Amino acid sequence: MRPGSILRQVLFGAVALIALTGQGRAAGDGERIQVTGEIMDTWCYLSGVMGGPEATLGTAHHTCAMWCAAGGIPVGLRTEEGEIYMVLKLEGAGTADGSPAVLEIQSNQITADGMAYARNGINYLIVERIVSNEGITNVSHEDYGLVPPFAIPKGEKKKILGSE
Amino acid sequence: MKNNIRFAALAALLVFALPFASQAAEDIKAKPWNLAGEELARFDAKVVDIVCELSGDCPADCGGGSRQLGLIAGNGDLLLAGKNSQAIFTGAVVDLLPHCGTTVTVDGLFTGIDGGPKLFQVQFIRPQGAGEDIKANAWGKTWNANHPDLKDKKGPWFRKDPRVNALIERDGYLGLSHAADKEFLEWFE
Repeated sequence: MRPGSILRQVLFGAVALIALTGQGRAAGDGERIQVTGEIMDTWCYLSGVMGGPEATLGTAHHTCAMWCAAGGIPVGLRTEEGEIYMVLKLEGAGTADGSPAVLEIQSNQITADGMAYARNGINYLIVERIVSNEGITNVSHEDYGLVPPFAIPKGEKKKILGSE
Repeated sequence: MKNNIRFAALAALLVFALPFASQAAEDIKAKPWNLAGEELARFDAKVVDIVCELSGDCPADCGGGSRQLGLIAGNGDLLLAGKNSQAIFTGAVVDLLPHCGTTVTVDGLFTGIDGGPKLFQVQFIRPQGAGEDIKANAWGKTWNANHPDLKDKKGPWFRKDPRVNALIERDGYLGLSHAADKEFLEWFE
């Protein structure tokens, strides 16, 4: 085999490798979208650590969702169809440091306008603007109670019920 | 042309064989958590700012802790590091941030429900050239350092976090109202 031929084949293989792995993909290939869904806790939903995924949405899981957002767990937006977007930025700021803006919208049903990206089976969303916010509409505690059950401490339960 | 196809096939095989197989299974230190779709793994990866990777918006400090961080594995896949090794409610950004832009060995587990995205839980990190793994449990220590007035108060951080407690104080535990909390507990307890 001639050296030129070997070189051509190595180059062809390298191009194929880059194309297959996406390593050569340039940043900035997102798509502007408007999407509606519930702001949610991705770890508890995806890992099953708190049981079935539906139990980790809405009011049943609201306090836990705030804890996870405060702890830097990726915040998601789940559409009615069950598609999940990892929310990377919210109106200009990152979402990993539990900012008041991120905690404020946990469990809320929002419509967001921003840039969507898909990479290796994960959808990402950079929210440039919250178009509308319906607040908390998923009243899941009626079906699931509190998830986790210790979300309200025993002493607090007594206070809330007026027995202390 | 046949040779070109052979080379492309070989390259593809290498790509799919490399991602998480860079370390032997017996080297994995991660403990199972019995999570959905759990898969223990130890591999080399570059720590990256995901916003930067996707959009080209790249601050020098990888966002200084405000941005989610990812891992680029040997096959070029971008993985989302969603959790550190601490029991509950703590992400991986604080542990990975000191290594952003560098290649490290990460040890942990993948998890995800059927049909959903996979998250990686980082249990250990070994910087290149380091002799030992570092346990990925920096979040709690950092919270304590940032809250000197609360760190010695009884209870875990999440019960004491002023950001969360302010919202519970305003909206209750269900996020609806204090009246909704009371109504629920009267029915449920």
